Amino acid sequence: MVVESGVADITSGLIAIGAGFAVGLAGIGAGMAEKDIGAAAVGAITEDSSLFGKAMIFTVLPETIVIFGLVVAVMAMFVL
Amino acid sequence: MFNRSGAGNYAYTSARVKAKKAKLLKEEDYSKMLMMSVPEISHYISDAGYSKEMADLGNRYEGLSLLEYATYANMAETFRSILNSSTGALSRMVNAYLTKWDFENLKTVMRGKRYGLPTEEIREDLVPAGILSMADLDKMLALGSIEEVLAFFSKKTHIAVSDDAVSFYKTTGILGKIEDVLMKEYYKNLLASIDSGDRPTQIFRTYVKACIDLKNIETVLKFKADGLSGDVVMEYWIPGGTEVDEKVMSQLAAAQDIPAAINEMQQLRMYSEIKDSLSQDSTVLDIVGVIDKYTVELANKVGHMYPLSVIPVVDYMIHKENEVRNIRMIAHGTDSGLDRETMKKLLVI
Repeated sequence: MVVESGVADITSGLIAIGAGFAVGLAGIGAGMAEKDIGAAAVGAITEDSSLFGKAMIFTVLPETIVIFGLVVAVMAMFVL
Repeated sequence: MFNRSGAGNYAYTSARVKAKKAKLLKEEDYSKMLMMSVPEISHYISDAGYSKEMADLGNRYEGLSLLEYATYANMAETFRSILNSSTGALSRMVNAYLTKWDFENLKTVMRGKRYGLPTEEIREDLVPAGILSMADLDKMLALGSIEEVLAFFSKKTHIAVSDDAVSFYKTTGILGKIEDVLMKEYYKNLLASIDSGDRPTQIFRTYVKACIDLKNIETVLKFKADGLSGDVVMEYWIPGGTEVDEKVMSQLAAAQDIPAAINEMQQLRMYSEIKDSLSQDSTVLDIVGVIDKYTVELANKVGHMYPLSVIPVVDYMIHKENEVRNIRMIAHGTDSGLDRETMKKLLVI
């Protein structure tokens, strides 16, 4: 934190918090989406193990949201 | 936000039953089976998911008996696995739905004992898919009198039959009243288990209520075929249906004969759905068959609407029951020389 003439510059701190929120909230969202997909995938694999590949793809699909969050975080930290 | 432990694992169970449903026999399988002999049917179903039960029971039974035991054992095992894998409210609803088999088994045992059938013959028709396991059912079979059977059932399931019904049986030897009490108790418990107010659960409740209506209509038709009076029919009315309330039931029960009862049925919404399948010379058996098919159509209509609910689970159980019923019907029909066209008509797909 830089202090110039008695006023604290909190910009970099706010950017770091924003970046944290971007990744954190995206992660929570992906987790909530994956909860049901993962449960359904395990259920389907229990009955038919040949579905493993397809089930895996559907389970990790919500992870893309986290990538968006990560991109926003990186942009916030290094571009702004 | 994350505390949903009481709701049930709909995603897991629905995915499992959907995978199971994909493996059920199709219409073309039944067409093939209609051309086969009983050993060929046994072989065919062994390749269609019944292999474990056929192998397990193969050294004890053969022919039609093997097929009967294996199909019922497979169904019971399937339903138990669904019940064991479900949790929370879903488990409660599945459990209440499956107690149907406890009631069915009790009825089978009572009827068998009443008419003095050999234990092995009664055992053939038992389906351990409810709360009572096969070991419990064997204990029940070993009991001497119907009163003892009822006491055992009450101890295991906490469902007691009223003294009135038992004394009616003692004086007349007719099981009808006891069976009626059991049927009413089953539907009362099932409706009580559906307590959630969300849309799919409401649909399930509507389905159960429609089933009660159809059961009441079946009762009217069967009793009218035997020429029984309206008062007697009313005693067997099951409360809780959507359309067939006490007033409508009394109107149906007051009909002189079957055509008059069918005429009264025209005021019901479901009549428009089944009227095309009815004809002037439809027998009670034909009409009951049409009603059975309508029940399956009803389940089919909503079966795919809410994937994460109790509906796909119940939809699968209905289809599995029909599959087993169809296999047994074809096997029995083939064994007794029934013609293919008649068997085709009796298929519920």
